[in-house]
Amino acid sequence: MRPISRAVLRPYVCPTCRHGISAGRRRFGSKSDSPDLYDVVCVGGGPAGLGLLAALRASPITSKLKVALIESQDLRKAKAWDLEPNQFSNRVSSLTPSTVSFLRSIGAYDHLDVNRVQDYQDMQVWDGQTGSRISFDWSMETSPFEDMRTVATMTENANLVRALLRRIADLGDENLSLFSNATVASIENGSDLKPEGPDLSAWPVLTVKPTGPAAETETPKRIAARLLVGADGINSPVRSFADIPTQGWDYGRHGVVATLALDEPATPPFPASKRTAYQRFLPALGGPIALLPLPDNHATLVWSTTPENAAYLKSLPTPAFLAMVNAAFRLDMTDLTYMMGMQSSSSDSTSHQDELTWRAQHTPLPSQIPPAATAVQAGTVASFPLRFRHAAQYISPRIALVGDAAHVIHPLAGQGLNLGLADVASLSKTIQYAVSHGMDIGDLLTLERYSSERYLPNAKIGGACDLLHKMYNVPGEGPVALARSLGLGVVDRLPFVKSFLMKNAEGY
Amino acid sequence: MSVLGRRGAIELRALTASSNLSASTLRPFSVLNRPPPNYPGHVPLTTIERGALALGSAIGSLINPRRADLIAALGEATATPFFIYRLRDAMLSDPTGRRILRDRPRITSETLNMTHLRTLPENSVGRTYAKWLDREGVSPDTRDNVQYIDNEECAYVMQRYRECHDFYHAVTGLPIFVEGELALKALEFLNTLLPMTGLSLFAFVRMKPAEKERFLTLHLPWAIRSGLGSKELINVYWEEVLEKDVDELRAELNIERPPDLREIRKMIRQQQKREKERQQQASN
Repeated sequence: MRPISRAVLRPYVCPTCRHGISAGRRRFGSKSDSPDLYDVVCVGGGPAGLGLLAALRASPITSKLKVALIESQDLRKAKAWDLEPNQFSNRVSSLTPSTVSFLRSIGAYDHLDVNRVQDYQDMQVWDGQTGSRISFDWSMETSPFEDMRTVATMTENANLVRALLRRIADLGDENLSLFSNATVASIENGSDLKPEGPDLSAWPVLTVKPTGPAAETETPKRIAARLLVGADGINSPVRSFADIPTQGWDYGRHGVVATLALDEPATPPFPASKRTAYQRFLPALGGPIALLPLPDNHATLVWSTTPENAAYLKSLPTPAFLAMVNAAFRLDMTDLTYMMGMQSSSSDSTSHQDELTWRAQHTPLPSQIPPAATAVQAGTVASFPLRFRHAAQYISPRIALVGDAAHVIHPLAGQGLNLGLADVASLSKTIQYAVSHGMDIGDLLTLERYSSERYLPNAKIGGACDLLHKMYNVPGEGPVALARSLGLGVVDRLPFVKSFLMKNAEGY
Repeated sequence: MSVLGRRGAIELRALTASSNLSASTLRPFSVLNRPPPNYPGHVPLTTIERGALALGSAIGSLINPRRADLIAALGEATATPFFIYRLRDAMLSDPTGRRILRDRPRITSETLNMTHLRTLPENSVGRTYAKWLDREGVSPDTRDNVQYIDNEECAYVMQRYRECHDFYHAVTGLPIFVEGELALKALEFLNTLLPMTGLSLFAFVRMKPAEKERFLTLHLPWAIRSGLGSKELINVYWEEVLEKDVDELRAELNIERPPDLREIRKMIRQQQKREKERQQQASN
């Protein structure tokens, strides 16, 4: 824990009383070096930070809190984000139904562009080594005469961020400061301003420095936070200020993403609105490949593989890349391993496709393969490293961590953003409780509730993804392959086990 | 209600599911309703039939090692479930092996022009092969077609192995009588992992004591050394290396040349003859 003067850690006496004893009167902001006081300062304007802001502003209990958000990117740009209707960003997330209901409850979901959002009702997952498979849908819970229940909703992160920004704008700008294009230059403990001002010695005081063109003209601003929320990603400055260690490891894997256009399905889906997500584990190549539906027969690709394979995939010309993606859902590990090493020159860009056409004739295809990918949206092939991190604690006096600042997990279950928004839901509820009960929102005892609600579920999901990653990275037909295909088969055939797992994954 | 409804759903889903049953998937069947063959000449077998075939052919070929058809049947019956797939994957992992699987060349006296082979330079693979065939008095056309392997591609792999077997003989110079055959089978077992090649080693019990000793001291150590160290022999595109120098090929595959068995036999025979003559002279 960061060093804080001992006085603050004494049994709690509210500041007013203490001032009543010592100075008799409170004077705020009279001196130039005293920082602006905020109730909640959120560092980081990603989905988690903006979600927290929207949640606080939307609740009648917390809407009067003085809040600030600091984001290094330009939020106006994010708010004005727009793409052609048939173009999709490659940064896409799946939202579970509980995340969607949270977004609805804070009024942000209505601002989402629904034409760019795709629900899916069925998920097919299978093992490329042994062929064992499992399908996730809610058919064991619903009758066939109801509409099929959604497993998850795919949305571009930019669409979600824009929706949250619009919702925040809708709620007015009273008591709200958005420091866009600004970075946190430093965070330190405040000083005791007695007798003129409050005792800020336990309050984090941030120096906010504008970036970009305004960097020269504007002077850095100092703000003090009753509660500082770190939603600032994996290398969180707030976390390092709070001196909270993290545990974790790098997977040594990269996630290759791309936006693809798919062929018409061979058999039309039934019912017509049903969409399916596909995931195939490729133990020989280092991780699963997933194809998640987007509107209008588009799909987003997430392929977790070794950095070498990722670099190879990114270097391929478009037809060869498409052939590799299609092959990854169809061919055997031996063929895929071979094709991953094939020399590709621009002159014979058909060799991958040749290889796929030939091998597909000799490989028995399962019934659940996705339609073939026919085009890659230009400029969407990218990759990012996969890591596992978990902060030792989420809270510290006047500090809370949410989202990636607190935990980063393997994306194979598409849970990262959902866990982050579940953190936000829990933290905003915690703040509401504190406000309505007259508690100090930055106090450790207040924040305890948030930490105890979220730490175990996050560790559970993160650990499960880690375990799956490790299980499905054992190549060959050994006892591990046998055990995992047996396990998958058992789970697939026992509806109550499957529905238990799905409910866990959906955060019910 | 819900039970009925659920059944309805399953039927609906079955109707809409693609009826894309590929021909190579074999569902359980009985002797009375045999499924159609997956390729010309294919005989689908049940597990029990396959086991009986393996046992019968094993015993038969042990009684009479000249029954090539029984050895072939034993090879096919024991190649699945795992071994032939491993061999196919070994081919698929190699560029040349993939090319062979794609082209599916067959080795017969028609595809290999024997008169042309005899005109190739001395010590070339083709000339060595032709010389070996002539010396042993065999022809590449005596190979049976594969019939008991269900997967059509694996059937070709088995066929290819069988047809290349003579090339292995030629490159190693091992003759076709039991002793040479066993030495080569030991090498093949370590190289291809096909169970039949390993099972063939049981023919060891049929050998004479002198042959046994020779096999254990000379050829088995050679087979183990070469078999473990060599590259996958199945990935050699024999049709393309006919003009290559055979020593070069051996070095490439990391196979040593074993002692020539026919030479050894000749020497032993001459020795025995000389011994006999000497004895006769002594007795005279």
